[in-house]
Amino acid sequence: MISNKLIIAVVLLVLLQSAIVFAGFVAPYDPVVQNRDLPFVPPTRVHFVDARGHWHLRPFIYQWESLPQSVYEYKESREREYPIYFFVRANDSTKARVNTRIHLFGVEDPAQIFLAGSDNYGRDQFSRILYGGRISLGAGLLATGISLLLGLFLGAVSGFHGKWVDEPVMRLAELFLVLPWLYLLLAVRAFLPLHISPAQTFVLLVAVIGTIGWARPARLIRGIVLSAKSRNYVLASRGFGASSGYILRRHILPHTYGVLLTQAALLIPQYVIAEVTLSFFGLGLSEPMPSWGNLLANLQQYSVLVSYWWMFAPALALILISLGYFTVANAIQERLQSASA
Amino acid sequence: MKYLERRMVHGALLLISVSVFCFLFTDLAPGNFFDEMKLNPQISPDTVAALRSQYGLDRPLPVRYGRWVLSVMKGDWGHSFAYNSPVRGLILLRARNTLLLTGCATLIAWLIAVPLGVWTAKRAGSWSDRACMSGTSFFLAVPEIVVVFGLLYFVIHSHALPAGGMLSRGFEQFEFAEKITDLAKHLIVPVLTLVLASLPILIRHVRASMIEVLNAPFISAARGHGISRVRVLFRYALPAGANPLISLFGLSLAGLLSGSLLVEVITGWPGLGPLLLEASISRDLYVVIGVVMSSTVFMIMGNLLADVLLVAVDPRVRTD
Amino acid sequence: MDIRRRFRVFVFLLVASPFFFASSLPQPPQRGEELQTSDNEIGRYGGTLVVGQRTEPKTLNPVTAADAPSREVIGRIMADLIHINRASQQVEASLAKSWTVSKDGRAFTLKLRRGLRFSDGQPFDADDVIFTFQVYLDEKVHSPQRDLLVVGGKPLEVQKVDSYTVRFALTQPYAAAERLFDSLAILPRHLLEKPYHEGRFAQVWNVSASPAEIAGLGPFRLKEYVAGQRMVLERNPYFWKVDEKKNRLPYLDQLVFLFVGNEDAQVIRFQAGDTDLINRLNSDNYNLLAKEQRNQSYELFDLGPSLEYNFLMFNLNDLKPGNLDQIAEKQKWFSDLKFRQAISAAIDREAIVKLVYGTRAVALWGNVSPSNRLWVDQTLPHPARSVERARELLKSAGFSWRADGQLLDTKGKAVEFSIITSSSNNQRSKMATIIQDDLSKLGMNVHVVPLEFRAVLDRVFQTYDYEAAVMGLGGGDADPNPEMNVWLSSGGTHLWHMGETKPATAWEDQIDQLMKQQMVELKYGRRKHLYDQVQEIIAANLPYIFLATPDILVGAKKNLANFKPAILEPSTLWNVEQLYFRQATVAGASR
Repeated sequence: MISNKLIIAVVLLVLLQSAIVFAGFVAPYDPVVQNRDLPFVPPTRVHFVDARGHWHLRPFIYQWESLPQSVYEYKESREREYPIYFFVRANDSTKARVNTRIHLFGVEDPAQIFLAGSDNYGRDQFSRILYGGRISLGAGLLATGISLLLGLFLGAVSGFHGKWVDEPVMRLAELFLVLPWLYLLLAVRAFLPLHISPAQTFVLLVAVIGTIGWARPARLIRGIVLSAKSRNYVLASRGFGASSGYILRRHILPHTYGVLLTQAALLIPQYVIAEVTLSFFGLGLSEPMPSWGNLLANLQQYSVLVSYWWMFAPALALILISLGYFTVANAIQERLQSASA
Repeated sequence: MKYLERRMVHGALLLISVSVFCFLFTDLAPGNFFDEMKLNPQISPDTVAALRSQYGLDRPLPVRYGRWVLSVMKGDWGHSFAYNSPVRGLILLRARNTLLLTGCATLIAWLIAVPLGVWTAKRAGSWSDRACMSGTSFFLAVPEIVVVFGLLYFVIHSHALPAGGMLSRGFEQFEFAEKITDLAKHLIVPVLTLVLASLPILIRHVRASMIEVLNAPFISAARGHGISRVRVLFRYALPAGANPLISLFGLSLAGLLSGSLLVEVITGWPGLGPLLLEASISRDLYVVIGVVMSSTVFMIMGNLLADVLLVAVDPRVRTD
Repeated sequence: MDIRRRFRVFVFLLVASPFFFASSLPQPPQRGEELQTSDNEIGRYGGTLVVGQRTEPKTLNPVTAADAPSREVIGRIMADLIHINRASQQVEASLAKSWTVSKDGRAFTLKLRRGLRFSDGQPFDADDVIFTFQVYLDEKVHSPQRDLLVVGGKPLEVQKVDSYTVRFALTQPYAAAERLFDSLAILPRHLLEKPYHEGRFAQVWNVSASPAEIAGLGPFRLKEYVAGQRMVLERNPYFWKVDEKKNRLPYLDQLVFLFVGNEDAQVIRFQAGDTDLINRLNSDNYNLLAKEQRNQSYELFDLGPSLEYNFLMFNLNDLKPGNLDQIAEKQKWFSDLKFRQAISAAIDREAIVKLVYGTRAVALWGNVSPSNRLWVDQTLPHPARSVERARELLKSAGFSWRADGQLLDTKGKAVEFSIITSSSNNQRSKMATIIQDDLSKLGMNVHVVPLEFRAVLDRVFQTYDYEAAVMGLGGGDADPNPEMNVWLSSGGTHLWHMGETKPATAWEDQIDQLMKQQMVELKYGRRKHLYDQVQEIIAANLPYIFLATPDILVGAKKNLANFKPAILEPSTLWNVEQLYFRQATVAGASR
């Protein structure tokens, strides 16, 4: 039964994630370019009606001009209208390399269109949110994958092979649920040699949190395997001389797919949020590459939280993705429940 | 009783492994408490080295572990370098404050979640149920830290509530009733945050479990017998669906000491959170280990209580 | 006075003294008490000052306390012999009413004030001073302040001349030696002698000590401590300063230290009116508070640049062969002066001042901040940023550029390195980000690696496993002597090259000579000349590439009078005995 809510959620997820995958096209600017004259500008206002009251078909923007006496305060400069063009060809200037590529939208130099405002160094938040989504979603997917794989393996093994394997694995699971992992992560981070690039460091940390999180899925899988193990057809299979491997693969594992899918849909946003938490503790991706975690970590500063509301924008993206995945998870769960009832 | 004994032994083993792991982790992290003094040009490296030696930080790991175990048995629970006093006093006082906070939050959350979850389960599929589900989804997606900052922001600009801390100045001179109101005013922001953080999951679980039960034939039979809806809900359905809820309650109990770290730090609530954070940063090792062990004890007790309650309440489990 | 009158006065005092003690009302000045007159604006008695602290004090023991909040409280309940006036930055008499210096500058004879009493009413004399220095100098106590009193390798000698005269002798002359006495709290012998001889001195006066166990000569004394929440001090009724109308200071009844958590929580509480003053504001919070200033009851102060200096440094240590070989390779670039000069030329210090500090900072090209008017070398050049000059310097050093812009060294290897910084220090992380972007314009590939503070210290002091770091030092005192260990090649904070047994380069040798000379030079003019030369050598050889120094930013309620914040710490509480409220505040109210 496909409800409207589910359709909306799936469409939302697909749109958002495509925008993130094609960030090079959708984002107007490179995420690391600093504009030191424009720190903390509010989101650019898109106008259709100009100062003289004329209506324009093509939307346009005004350039931000900083107010002379104060710090980080701006007003729109009404000197010139800069129309927004679509499918523009622009130069990406990173280092000395010059790349031209097509962007979804853009404006003529020297104006800049900051749909979500800019940060402390004048970098376009909108672009950074899109590029950052790659990292954050990637982290979520990677960690989820590791957790589920490990959880599946350990849960199946412990559920299937009975007491001698089950007891130690479950005790280990308890231990993993109890230990202070933040401290371990701090230690791991401090220990890593500097020659690993920041990207590799981040991947390693994500892999570590994924590895730590195997305990909960493992418990669920174990429960399923335990109940499936005693089903009649499994006993019959054994009677026919089937090997353990065959039974696991053919009869038992299919039962776990539903749970795996639900868990995946639940864990992905949770791990994205875990990446945000890592960033709050200084363990996230380092400058200058953006991730939703290190974008939101800016909000830790009280002055940013209170004065620059557009810095909350990544939270919006995060909430939308979470909502989308939770809805999908719910739908799968309901399907499972109605199927088993 | 054999079950209980077995669980206690497991618990003890878990505690020991946690303590060993803690020692290993803290050893991994580079730097020690006295490192900060090295940055002061007016303190010589010899003094820093002498202080390290005085507190036994240059001894090998097993020796330090052994001394710590002895200290635990003596009742001190280790020695804090920063406060220069036994860890136990520091922890007990702050644990009391944390328990006050999380106890209130857990109580309120459950008191809201159970009726609300049952109510939405009853009306599964209706628009009020879907509104509730959307609400919980939303709050699930919002990180706790955003909630806390948002609340603080409103509190500051409305001047209605105190902006942090636990007691007002001059608390000791208040009348008893005034003391209660003062404490309550300070509790509102942190408790609200914790409740908002845990409520969505609780409501969902109660609802899911109740939906499953409400579809069972014996419920229809009870209705068929003419038993009132309310009585069926709370006297028949709820106990049947209590199994996962009890596990969840056990988890709530387990998290009493550890779940509020972030909230405490941001609102300045003088609980274990700020103590642990500061001790972690400054490498006050035995304070960190003491707090982690206390949280572990609570977790073990919470899980144990949940399992015992489960056996007591749900006859289906007893056949195991 | 005739004998009967004296007797009546005596009985009256005998009966009334417990009341005076218990209520902490200021004692009327006694005959024979040698008080110090403070020339501040006359104030009115009363009121409670509430101050926020980020973390709570860990101990009240002046000899072992090392953390800032502890020292902040201890400084209000204890007093020293000679004090550095935070506003004028010069020494002034404190418990010692006067002193004479021997002609060779090695011996100081201090005359103590007579008739003074500790906060518990017990008399103060030279025995307390002798006892105090015995404790500080005791090697078994491991006081962090012991090293201050060790000059030229030998500890200073303390001798009692009579009940109110003490003589200190150094083994060599030491410039501005009086400054050593600042903040060395004088301990009450009558309370602490016993624990000291029993060997448990380090355990006394921790935060759970009862107020009756603690006594000092400062303006306040401990009243109560509520763990995790606040520490309350009350007026010391025997404090030895009076105003010009002979009113005994302090004016305030109580001083409350509220433990608020972190800097942002401090700002929130100050905004809400819970605390009466705030110090060490960072520029973002200052600008935030400034926006709302007009409607509020507080006032903000920007005192100009601090004495701290932030810098980028490269690892120039001698590395043992092993896992640090990659770094050793890169040291070929780091040790080239032109490389460092190019980096210094490419860094946009104006952007740092504007983006990291919201314009509330000053760019630095040397180790002495411009606010240190007595010691800064005004003739040091401040070259403007120039990427072209940087490129020329690199070219002349043999570097070249690949087609894609990447910088290559003489062997054709890509120039790539990492900068470590403390993740908990927001400003330094931001500086590193700006530097990263600036250096990318030169074709250098720079990674910023934020690490936990202690991990940074471990790498800088112990393992030397780092390539470059952004750090900060200084801020303690304006005088150059506390910086000896930073610039002496054998010093414990000679960060860029630790553990040198002899100077590694000619210019480091020069610095050693000059610093040792200025340490024993007693005339200011000649000392300044020597120290100027040190500054010039440092600026020419760039062991540190200096970046900026932040302004000192503080705030206080408008109702608070005699508030004279200073650049030296404690910037807001140094004259706490002079502070008073213009209008009475309602007790216990938060606004």
